[in-house]
Amino acid sequence: MSGAGRGGGSAKGPEEPRGPTDGWQVVSYMLGGMLLYGGIGWLIGRWTHLPVLFPVGMIAGLAGAVALIIFRVSRT
Amino acid sequence: MSHDLASAAAGGCHIFTGCGYPAPSIEDFIFKPIATVGGFQITKPMVLALFCAGIVVTFFWFAFRKPQLVPRGAQNLGEMGILFVRDQILRPQMGKKGDRFLPFIISLFFFVWIMNVMGIIPVLQFPAMSRIAFPLALTLMVWVTYITLGIRHNGPIGYFKNMAVPAGAPWWILPLLSPIELLTNIFVRPFTLTIRLFANMLAGHVLLLVFGLASWYLFSASIGLLFATTSLIMTIILTLLEVLIQALQAFIFATLTAFYFADAMSSSH
Repeated sequence: MSGAGRGGGSAKGPEEPRGPTDGWQVVSYMLGGMLLYGGIGWLIGRWTHLPVLFPVGMIAGLAGAVALIIFRVSRT
Repeated sequence: MSHDLASAAAGGCHIFTGCGYPAPSIEDFIFKPIATVGGFQITKPMVLALFCAGIVVTFFWFAFRKPQLVPRGAQNLGEMGILFVRDQILRPQMGKKGDRFLPFIISLFFFVWIMNVMGIIPVLQFPAMSRIAFPLALTLMVWVTYITLGIRHNGPIGYFKNMAVPAGAPWWILPLLSPIELLTNIFVRPFTLTIRLFANMLAGHVLLLVFGLASWYLFSASIGLLFATTSLIMTIILTLLEVLIQALQAFIFATLTAFYFADAMSSSH
């Protein structure tokens, strides 16, 4: 039973796919990453008059989010 | 939708009569107050929300006022609903120990669903969830609950660590990834929970408005009749699609709530 293992606090058990929530989790991470590093890039871009830092930050955030997802999924 | 159709009808606005298509806009989501009680304006969405809450409460009270071992009639229906929420939404996410949240998840699921269904009931015809305050209020309840749950389960520091440190990531990348994890858990999750429900109901209602209004606007004794028929068929198909989406959105809202609760209570995620 997937839920029992998770709720039971098994510290490092492998995560089983749980339908729609995993998909939304991925979307949340990607949004979070783009929001955070895009925002930081935008601020630094305003400060240094380099507007290109905004998209660069967004892509960096996306890469970070993808890395995060890979770490979470592939842990044993 | 009825008020727009009525106003379009009153104008006698048809194709080839020199008047433009009365396109739906965000104005259609803003209602004039029905009544004012001590400076507090009561609008249609508020009345709908109360009405829907009333329906859900009344139904479950009626179904279980005299529970019998062998359920019949309304009790049967009520049990089917509860078992569906328990076995399809709650248990897959939280397991048996999540059963104490069953009343909350059930209320959430049925309230959201009935609220959404109001979008296609004639005369009522407004999904109140397309006003962002309604999903936002529900999300706030969920958010406060899951933060509280997490703090009670893991302690303030343990929970903060849980929220900020992604499991499985090597330590040297944590400074880069922890902020994403924290932002996702604290801000993006409740935000997407709200926006998903709100945007789906808004878009669905606008779609129905577009084709509903077009059916009337294109109606004339000319080639327009063909267009009007097509538009009407689209309205019917989209209404059926909306029935599906309304249930689906309620399901996703309840499922994600259960998932967030389970996540807050797990000792590592």
